[in-house]
Amino acid sequence: MQLSDYEKRILDGSEGRLKQIAMENIVRYAEILGAQELCEVTKATVFCGAHNYLSVCKSDDIHEVFSKMNLAVDEIVPFDQTYDNCYIQSCVAPCDQYEFQPFGQTKEFFNKNSQFLEQAKKAGVNIAGTCSPYLTGWLPIKGEHFVTTESGVTVTANSIWGAMGNSDGIEAAFWSSICGRTPKWGNHIEENRVGTHFIEVKASVDSLLEWNLLGKAVGVKMPAGGIPVITGDFFNVNFNKLRSFCTMLAISSNCEMCHIVGITPEARTVEDAFKGKTIPEALVIDDQCLESAYESVCDRGVGEVDFVSLGCPHFDIDQIRRVAAYIKGKKVHPNVHFMLWTVYPIKCMADENGYTKIIEDAGGFIYTSTCPGSIGDVFLKKYKAFVFDSLKKAGSVKSETDGSVYFGDVYRCVDSAIRGKWEESDRWK
Amino acid sequence: MEIIEISGRGVIPGIVEGEALVCPESITGWGGIDPETGIIKEYDNINKGQSIKGKILVLSGSKGSNGWSCYFGAARVAGAAPKGWLFSQIDSSSGVASAVMNIPTIVDFEKDQDPCYLIKNGDWIQMDGGTGKVKIRKSE
Repeated sequence: MQLSDYEKRILDGSEGRLKQIAMENIVRYAEILGAQELCEVTKATVFCGAHNYLSVCKSDDIHEVFSKMNLAVDEIVPFDQTYDNCYIQSCVAPCDQYEFQPFGQTKEFFNKNSQFLEQAKKAGVNIAGTCSPYLTGWLPIKGEHFVTTESGVTVTANSIWGAMGNSDGIEAAFWSSICGRTPKWGNHIEENRVGTHFIEVKASVDSLLEWNLLGKAVGVKMPAGGIPVITGDFFNVNFNKLRSFCTMLAISSNCEMCHIVGITPEARTVEDAFKGKTIPEALVIDDQCLESAYESVCDRGVGEVDFVSLGCPHFDIDQIRRVAAYIKGKKVHPNVHFMLWTVYPIKCMADENGYTKIIEDAGGFIYTSTCPGSIGDVFLKKYKAFVFDSLKKAGSVKSETDGSVYFGDVYRCVDSAIRGKWEESDRWK
Repeated sequence: MEIIEISGRGVIPGIVEGEALVCPESITGWGGIDPETGIIKEYDNINKGQSIKGKILVLSGSKGSNGWSCYFGAARVAGAAPKGWLFSQIDSSSGVASAVMNIPTIVDFEKDQDPCYLIKNGDWIQMDGGTGKVKIRKSE
């Protein structure tokens, strides 16, 4: 493999053991992939916090846990520096930025999580605590090489902005953040970003919920390594619909990018997306495909609900404003825990704009830096029936609980929180 | 007893042998295995309930979230890792998992040598991660 002078210098340990291990791991990763060289990473999100899977490492020493789990070494090497030319933000943690009691967590666990975050800060990570890093300005531009720990962001950044990144993994995102390099392989190479499958959408797709469904409907048709080129009579498209689509596409397939003709930058036309290659026969997505995606996750029937959660991916400020406007003057049913999820600077904006007060006066809450799935069983086990405005969250909670799970339009979710009941009229269509 | 030999691209050296566990649909990474025991808990996996610990794990590639590698890494720390693994085709998530596990690894087999089709659960596998050679002793 070809290495630059900088990369060789890091490898020989001139800039310390942490960077050396990170570079050794990246070089090993590159050799496994068959990459010829590395490329510079200037945007990264990393998975910080006392996440549940770390508990296999029976140690209270956060440096030991970090070294064993994220650097994959048995020696103890503190995480105390990162690559200077990289904008690094933290992904979701298993704790809210400020609270632990609403989720059944202990103060001890909350403090342990904070310890991990404090160490990451010292290393140069901006603590954001979000699956939606663009909400706080993390925006890789066309051709910029990024790493991320959120699969929806991999698809969003490759597809919508034309930035370049692979799925990689939690450990590799740390290595890249520390040494500033990733293997130049896969989506980091222009020629590999050409469409492989042609998708013709004949279904009617407009609302945010329908873009969620479209993501799953396309995802289940895609083989490993596929890059779909999607055409359809789309209107009213906005970034929130696209990021929800990308999030669902990511988790229902192995896709790392897609092209939406006329919308994404590498697909001005169908021919542009296939870059001169023969256009394959179209796979058709019709209303039936969207219905199957809906039926696969939303339980049938009606029933009382006690958990209504909005904001996966994390809400932006205008989504919060709309919920506040809708719920103003109404009251959430006393049996229901009604919550919105966002990133804490956006929560601060919601406070300033008066949206938090309206939602709290109605009996709801705005939480930050995590989500029900990232907190896990300690939170979810207290509830019997769940309502989500996100297909991703509904699906993941469905695998983790025996409770009823419903998925609907954001306003129908709010209605169910007020009623304390999911009705037939709350269902999509 | 039938013996088949195939070869792929050897990427992490080491010679190991053991019983095969084959997941042609891969294993979902985030939450797909219990890292303490190595037991597969993905609800619709054909090998649900079996453990990857001490096996030669045969996978098509990775599946699902960007967190695919870290549950395997956690199994490594807990002492529940496989002895070696084979991937029909490498992808970035399985590449990271391999770099983390650092166990003998062979990847990128030709289509007519796909280990997910030629190997069945219980077959005895000898693999050389340096040369990329795999010897399959069929169990039946």
